[in-house]
Amino acid sequence: MQKNIIISIVMSGTLIAGTIYFVSDKSANPDGEVAQSQNSEIKDGVQYITITAKGGYFPHVTEIKGGLPTKLIVRTDGTYDCSAALVIRSVGFQKILQPTGEEIIDLGTPKSGDTVQGVCGMGMYNFQIEVS
Amino acid sequence: MKTFTFHVSGTHCPSCKIFIEDTLNEHSGVQSTVVDLKQKTVTINTTLDESQQNLAEMLTEKIKHNGYSLSVEMQSTEKKDAGVIWHALPIGLALLALFFVVQKSGILNFGLGGTVTPATSFIIGLVASVSSCLAVVGGLVLSLSATVSQDTISDVKPMILFHAGRLISFAVLGGVLGAIGSAIGISFTATLILGIIASLVMIVLGLNLVGVFEKNMIALPSGIFSFFRKLEHKTIAPFLVGVGTFFLPCGFTQAMQVAALSSGSFVSGLLLMTAFAVGTLPMLALLSFGSASFAHSKHAPLFFKSAGVLVVGLGTFAFLAGLAGLGIINPLFNI
Repeated sequence: MQKNIIISIVMSGTLIAGTIYFVSDKSANPDGEVAQSQNSEIKDGVQYITITAKGGYFPHVTEIKGGLPTKLIVRTDGTYDCSAALVIRSVGFQKILQPTGEEIIDLGTPKSGDTVQGVCGMGMYNFQIEVS
Repeated sequence: MKTFTFHVSGTHCPSCKIFIEDTLNEHSGVQSTVVDLKQKTVTINTTLDESQQNLAEMLTEKIKHNGYSLSVEMQSTEKKDAGVIWHALPIGLALLALFFVVQKSGILNFGLGGTVTPATSFIIGLVASVSSCLAVVGGLVLSLSATVSQDTISDVKPMILFHAGRLISFAVLGGVLGAIGSAIGISFTATLILGIIASLVMIVLGLNLVGVFEKNMIALPSGIFSFFRKLEHKTIAPFLVGVGTFFLPCGFTQAMQVAALSSGSFVSGLLLMTAFAVGTLPMLALLSFGSASFAHSKHAPLFFKSAGVLVVGLGTFAFLAGLAGLGIINPLFNI
């Protein structure tokens, strides 16, 4: 009986720790992000960021420059999951995106040190745009 | 005429008292039965000339299919009950971990390009039913079904009503969306709040299934449970919960609602949403009717506790995700 309880606790602990590690937001770790700042470009004084929404948002963290008018392009491609229901609270944007297409969202002129955060309608996926 | 008092295990609800009393009173030779839920005892007046041990076995035979048993000694059943949670905890957590692995693996993110037809929306429904939406809708279905199975003897009727409510609301509201077009938007905030309420219901029901309230570790006003119980027995309630699932936050449902909006006519909106709801039906039906069949097997205590652990996990996940969606807390998950 005692042995069973110990085995159970160990298994449960491992499962909980594993799951939390697995699903927790690892955005604090910059090593994991490959495509950083490759997805933004400046054209005619306007900074464009492209994020793909499908089964999450990619890249997860984007670093951009501050003090420039900035537009976010969210690209969908057969996206029917939660990431199609996009909410960006800081600019009051909420919309269910077309399954396939591009949505251009005006982020205004973000200041240095700001973070623009987008989440999906259920809050399960998210992305950050860090203004440096 | 003799009076015997037995210890009873498996009593978890006010309706158990009525059920046990009615069932045992039907037994020939039993004059009267009184169940004391607080003491977990059953007192019987009987004309039968049997030993207490034999009586306990005879009467247990009548009620064991519903998860109750009578015993002369108290300890034996208590021990068994306490042991179940140690089996249920890893099982529930393993299922929970499996759910997250499936989400993270990305196998559900295959593309369905082009326009949405009823055929594609059926497939999207199939995918949705095992996707992250399962955390909210599936978790709610599982917690309600398991609770209903635990409490009532005829558990199939409320489940059929629930699924009927879900299908009808998707058909009718899908049609309405198609008919009125893009004039109305579905409020994100409203669906998120509804999702948070659903996740709280899941957590409470899940804890109840695990047996936290039963052991009086947490004292909850009994009014809450008797409220749920009253609802369960009303025909309209499961139906309305089914209707309500239309508004629960689920990316797939919302995408389908948009597709229905832009479909342009009542009939096309109706077909899209119906096909989607039918696509989600196999998984949800499995959850609810699976609960019912488990509930009548000898693994019932293990099932209820495992389901409880799973539901609490999913409810917590949906609750935190909902708060993140509302912008109240920073997102904790990125699955």
